[in-house]
Amino acid sequence: MNYLKLVFANLMRNKLRTGMTFGAVSLAVMLVVFLLTMPAGLDALLNSVASNTRVSVHNKAGIVYSLPYSYVRKVRLVEGVAGAVGTTWFGGAYEEEGRVTFPNFAVEAEHVGAVYPDYGIASQHLEDFRRYRDGALVGRQTMKRYGWKVGDRITLKSTAWAIDLDLRIVGEIPLERSPVVWIQRSYLDEALVAQRGQGLGIVHVIWVRLEDPNRVEEVMRTIDDMFRNSEAETASETEKSFFGNFFGSLKGFITIVLLVTFLVAACVLVIAANTASMAIRERSSEIAVLKAVGFPRRVVFASLLAESALLCTSAGVAGVALAYVFTHGLRSFAAVIPSLGPLGSFLITPAVAAQGLLLSVVVGAVSGLVPAWGAARKPVAEAFHELF
Amino acid sequence: MSWLVSPKGKRYTVAQMRWVTNHEEPLVRTVAVSRIYRRGVDEIRALDRVSLEIPAGHFVAFMGPSGSGKSTLMNLLAGLDRPSSGEVWVAGQRLDILDEDELAAWRARHVGLIFQFFNLIPVLSARDNVALPLLLTHLDKRERSRRADIALRIVGLQDRASHYPRALSGGEQQRVAIARALVTDPDLIVADEPTGDLDARNAETILSLLRRLRSDFGKTIIMVTHDPRALRFVDMAFHLDKGTLLEGEEAARAHEAIVVAASGGVVGHVLP
Ligand SMILES: Nc1ncnc2c1ncn2[C@@H]1O[C@H](COP(=O)(O)OP(=O)(O)OP(=O)(O)O)[C@@H](O)[C@H]1O
Ligand SMILES: [Mg+2]
Repeated sequence: MNYLKLVFANLMRNKLRTGMTFGAVSLAVMLVVFLLTMPAGLDALLNSVASNTRVSVHNKAGIVYSLPYSYVRKVRLVEGVAGAVGTTWFGGAYEEEGRVTFPNFAVEAEHVGAVYPDYGIASQHLEDFRRYRDGALVGRQTMKRYGWKVGDRITLKSTAWAIDLDLRIVGEIPLERSPVVWIQRSYLDEALVAQRGQGLGIVHVIWVRLEDPNRVEEVMRTIDDMFRNSEAETASETEKSFFGNFFGSLKGFITIVLLVTFLVAACVLVIAANTASMAIRERSSEIAVLKAVGFPRRVVFASLLAESALLCTSAGVAGVALAYVFTHGLRSFAAVIPSLGPLGSFLITPAVAAQGLLLSVVVGAVSGLVPAWGAARKPVAEAFHELF
Repeated sequence: MSWLVSPKGKRYTVAQMRWVTNHEEPLVRTVAVSRIYRRGVDEIRALDRVSLEIPAGHFVAFMGPSGSGKSTLMNLLAGLDRPSSGEVWVAGQRLDILDEDELAAWRARHVGLIFQFFNLIPVLSARDNVALPLLLTHLDKRERSRRADIALRIVGLQDRASHYPRALSGGEQQRVAIARALVTDPDLIVADEPTGDLDARNAETILSLLRRLRSDFGKTIIMVTHDPRALRFVDMAFHLDKGTLLEGEEAARAHEAIVVAASGGVVGHVLP
């Protein structure tokens, strides 16, 4: 017989209620922990698709505005640049769909290899892309989606120009989540000359790979300075920040996630407070007896508070463990099922786990505070008069 | 008798205990205590200038009609409540000047409490219920359960130590409650209608057990009761009416009325 046993015996008094509260708190903590992994997870996701030595150069006014094609050659000559490829939005729609269902760009076939060595495109495919003027390289996701194979022929109708291009798939971009399709810039150029007597002449985004990851800022500044006060000023940014802006709504999404997290926490606080006050009210007489026997008010208060603290903290531990199992489960699934890929990025860091535990401790303390204080403060004689 | 160790650590034999508690000072003394309850503008004068003395080692009853202030008086003597005016002295300590926390500490060392509805903790075994007040002492865990077992033996429930209250009859639960009141070896045991919720046979058992605590262990016991049969067991009875203590003729009449009500030809005991 000791205080811990007393606290534990009181918790076990109504096993169903204690169990339900335990469940509510642990599920809430699990949810909160999972939600808290999202900001970091999305960042990791971005890192996984973006390289830190790749930089985009686009019109300062926005990526829908073009740059003169001559810029590509000028950028390629800047010191520290390992490769640069000009990409132009073709906006091709597949078959009768009439709308763009995957991004497709006209690129310089001889330069993609230098800018995207990390994509792991087979050298045979790169070579064929250069060799066939109607060649196309297709991202694995789009390959799978339409069931295409290397050697297939497809037609894309441009939504940017009144041009249809017959294409031959000569290779694959072997990234699970890449939907991109690249076609030869010279092929589009020829088609435009044939149609309107004037070539393409523009690019939308110049993708540049730099030699030294430590000199990224410096080289970006050199490039932008070069075109300052010209007909089209440029803005350079790293690939990561480029994609980050592209998913601009991400920030709003994270705000919503954090708001939901907060609401879940508030909700579970109310549940736990309800349990604590019921558990204390239903044995007012026992608490009065404890005080009559001589237990000081602070001991009564502490033992009541210990009940909700013990319950919520252990539920918090269970919740963090559940979240851990859950995210690891997702990760192993994601490794097998590519479409779940992004889910594999949500990982519980020690900081997130600590926040989950902190939440449960706070819920335990705050929920027990008011009823425990009320019960401990009431004078014994008054309690007896009311109860008996 | 080695279990008769006061929380202060002094050891007494039963004979010494009698001597210690039988010194000239009464164990309990009140000087014109009043207790007024305020409910908004209403005032209830539950006790009106009550002065009494209870010698150590006596078993006394507080009797009187419902609402006469018996429980109020008992609460003051047990340090559960403080008077509105007047002095309360128990075992040499003046109680009316102590604050709530000091009273709690004093109760833990000096009073054992028994209630009408037993009030055991349902999720603790009989032994753990009895050992509960010992949590407030410096005794280690083994010593606490050893003393709880001794107290349970005194009330004749040593075989039921590991049973939970719901597995015990009302009379047995009240005996566990008596063991709990006893386990700290208090100067004073107070009982508010301890037989109020029991049948005649169990009531007898409890009353004779309390009597034995007085005669075998020299305990001073104050019992609030409505039960005329209780008069056979106590050394003296105080009669209260409307918050005042009856004396002389009035007290004798009240006592007589109860004895007649008992209708068992019970021999009257010493009057105050
Ligand atoms: N905490 C309290 N607040 C307000 N009034 C109280 C309080 N305690 C007792 N009283 C009132 O004081 C008076 C005396 O009450 P007390 O409980 O002492 O009577 P009693 O003699 O024990 O009665 P019973 O035999 O019914 O138990 C009653 O009128 C009661 O309502
Ligand atoms: Mg009463």
